[in-house]
Amino acid sequence: MDRLSSALQDRLQGVVFTPDQFVAEYLTNFGQIHHWTPRLVVRPARADDVAETIRFARAHGLKVSTRGSAHSQSELAISDGGILLDMRSLGRVLSVDQDGETVDVESGVVWRDLVHHLKRWNLFPRVLTNNLGVTVGGTLSVAGIGVASFRHGSQGDNVVELDVVTGTGDLVTCGPDREPELFWSVIAGLGQVGLITRARLALRKAKPLTRTYYLLYDDVRKFLEDSRIAMDAGHWDHLESWASPCPQGTKPVGGRRQVFARWFYPFHLTVEFEPGSPPDDERLLRGLSPYEKLYVDDKPMIDFLERLVPIFELWKKAGTWEHVHPWMETVLPWDTAGDYIDQVLPDLPPGMLIGGHVLLWPAKGPSSRSRLFMRPPGENLVGFGILPAIPPRHWSKVRPLLDNASRLSTLLGGKRYLSGWIDFTPEEWRAHFGAQWDSFAAAKKRWDPEGLLNPGFVPFDATTAAATVR
Amino acid sequence: MSRPAGIRFGTPQWAEAFAAQVAQSSEYRNAAAAWGKGFDGSILLVFEADANRAGVERLRLALAEGRCDGAAFLAPGDSSRAAFELQAPFGLWREVLDGRTLAATAILTGRLRVVGEKLTLLRHTAAHRALLHCAASVETIW
Repeated sequence: MDRLSSALQDRLQGVVFTPDQFVAEYLTNFGQIHHWTPRLVVRPARADDVAETIRFARAHGLKVSTRGSAHSQSELAISDGGILLDMRSLGRVLSVDQDGETVDVESGVVWRDLVHHLKRWNLFPRVLTNNLGVTVGGTLSVAGIGVASFRHGSQGDNVVELDVVTGTGDLVTCGPDREPELFWSVIAGLGQVGLITRARLALRKAKPLTRTYYLLYDDVRKFLEDSRIAMDAGHWDHLESWASPCPQGTKPVGGRRQVFARWFYPFHLTVEFEPGSPPDDERLLRGLSPYEKLYVDDKPMIDFLERLVPIFELWKKAGTWEHVHPWMETVLPWDTAGDYIDQVLPDLPPGMLIGGHVLLWPAKGPSSRSRLFMRPPGENLVGFGILPAIPPRHWSKVRPLLDNASRLSTLLGGKRYLSGWIDFTPEEWRAHFGAQWDSFAAAKKRWDPEGLLNPGFVPFDATTAAATVR
Repeated sequence: MSRPAGIRFGTPQWAEAFAAQVAQSSEYRNAAAAWGKGFDGSILLVFEADANRAGVERLRLALAEGRCDGAAFLAPGDSSRAAFELQAPFGLWREVLDGRTLAATAILTGRLRVVGEKLTLLRHTAAHRALLHCAASVETIW
């Protein structure tokens, strides 16, 4: 028995686990790329347990990492010899303010559970991620983007207040107008400055039904133009799109024959409506020029929000959920998005996308106020994500392709979305945050002076050293 | 005594063999269909001296819309330019042509330096990969 285990357990209401009690999931995250073993795992019962764990870690020279649903794919949600906080035990919906349209939740609440809790009032979070099986604290720590982000920004932009435990073990309440420096360093702050234990989220009243128009495009530039029109139209509630391969045979790529595809671009546009007042299809679709209008689907709001659950279930049943997930997501400037997509997709073997897909999401830069959710300048932006599931034995072969896709996006002015697989050099980290780097590093120094929180991902020390050398 | 197979790098015969590879490559023809369309697509590959080889070699390629209209090593002192230059030490070129380093990676990381409108070059990475594969397909005596 680890001597620290019982000493920590004596201070907590929650439970401390030693390696002999670990379940396998504690040793990696969704990415399945990094495999680390923590010294202890803590399932806190309350925010004070989180603060006490940090104070204990400080006293004993340990690091503290946090884990929600562990959807990260880099060195997050895992711990190499430190204390791993399994935040899912902070999973209570605390209160709903129907008039004020807010909800207070503990940070380990899973979005899907929250949505089901709120549906009785037809109140919903303004932005929801495609995968609802992730936690509030997790997505707020990376920004949290979804099909309504073009209207409402990131999930982090729709937070009214947070309780945060800093790296010094202090529990602090913050918001956009209260301790804003801390607040905006925690939103999309990758758990580097403080750990979220409670969030008050802004909600919105939704209409009970949704109508989704399934449009298909055969040309990425036509799709981009129509997605801009749709974003500016003002009547769409949700916009969702993909790049979808239609395999054609093989062609030589670098001299080796590889399956190649003709790519199409499904574009799903959704409006909410009241029963008995269906939308005017012709008016809504006026000005759009798809290759084909495929389908129109009405469903209850809750079914719309859970629309991807069957797909994720299929991936789990097929076993690809256990594969390596080096997701490469990036936000591109409007001007270079078409060129980027033209370069990247022809090289992408369609087989890579079994158990995954290529996402596209039209976005509005000014819809977000988040300082650390880095995005290119400009009003119109395009999110692009290669979300493969790779059998582990093929990972080393696929990696250069994704590496190049990441670098090309950066060279064309894109900014990587950091929940995915990131392999930045210290200089690339600095470049990613650009003008925000210094304030992020200062916040780290102020609220986590000993570098306790979520180590191993953002190389604050290394980039400082590199800057000094230059 | 048998002679080694292949063509010596840096000779007119090598440049000619390279152009022939380009002409017969469906990969290049497809990937480079838009390269040089509406702009000058000429490229100078600069092989810089390093520990592997003394002296500089400069290979000028006239490329347009999936075709190679000419390939020639420039004579010493010939200061002809091209719209785009790709410069790297000889050792790195060997890595690229042997397939040990991806040209795209070398360009994206700055190891293979670009002179010219980099954005234009980055919009045609598949074309350049196919071009370099054609070079790698020439049986070469280094």
